[in-house]
Amino acid sequence: MNNNILNQNPTLSPLDQASQLSPKGGEKKKMLETTVMLTPLVDAFSILVIYLLVSFSSSGEIITISKDMKLPEAAKAQELERSTIVRLEVDKIFIENEEIAQKDLVSKFIEIKKQLSERRIGDEQEPSLILQADKKTKYEAINQIVLAGSQTGFSEIKFAVLAK
Amino acid sequence: MKGKKNLDTEVNLIAFISLLSVLICSLLLSVIWVQIGSLNIKQAVGGQSSKDKEKVPVVWVDMLKKGGLQLKLQDAPRAPKVLKRISVQGLDGKIDFDALGEKIVQIQKALPKLKMALIRPQAKSDYEEVIGLMDQFKKAGINDLGLNPL
Repeated sequence: MNNNILNQNPTLSPLDQASQLSPKGGEKKKMLETTVMLTPLVDAFSILVIYLLVSFSSSGEIITISKDMKLPEAAKAQELERSTIVRLEVDKIFIENEEIAQKDLVSKFIEIKKQLSERRIGDEQEPSLILQADKKTKYEAINQIVLAGSQTGFSEIKFAVLAK
Repeated sequence: MKGKKNLDTEVNLIAFISLLSVLICSLLLSVIWVQIGSLNIKQAVGGQSSKDKEKVPVVWVDMLKKGGLQLKLQDAPRAPKVLKRISVQGLDGKIDFDALGEKIVQIQKALPKLKMALIRPQAKSDYEEVIGLMDQFKKAGINDLGLNPL
């Protein structure tokens, strides 16, 4: 029981006794005794944890951006919600990472809408698309997706942007 | 005093630090550094009849060449004539968003009920500028936005 941690003097760190370098060096030599300051370390860790918890997003990462793609910026961006993701690269269209030819766009949207309506029986939520494109893309490329979406009943289009 | 239990307790900091380290590692792995949001628009889908709907004021925004814009008010009979058709000149070939913001404020003063804007880009309009326009209208509180297909 004498070795119980509660019986030891809390003001003396065990490192005080253990980490003396060259203890026989005499009084003239400088003591190189070091102790790890635990209290500031715990403070710093706590601040880090609080900061990370505040910035934690429960929805996770919905879309990933390739390094060649630069999304446009917007100040009034809303929180991104999970929907069908359409990615527009130079000449290619990807729906949920699957490459789709331009001529098959409408039929693919019809198929997706059918799947969504089967899954959402009784759900009033309207089908929507998330459009991900580089900021330098011309509108004629965006137009084909907007048009196909409107034709097939995707009434809401969410343009992925970087929040300013 | 010998029989009494010593109440002088010490917080076990090592275990606490270990717990915090694990938490920091897991949070760092799950953190999202780039905040991606969305600008949402409502598109008219086929078969929607406009006859049954109450007519609300709409501003049509035509994107012209070299960053020029033309704003046209529709279904706003009480709007002053000078505001029915407004031109905003581009600035160095780009849209002058400050000038546009001022014009939107002028329109909103005359038409506080204005909540809808329809953007009509050109084939060669930059996607960035279309988004910038939409963002400018959202900033002004005009949240019902639409994009006109080519």
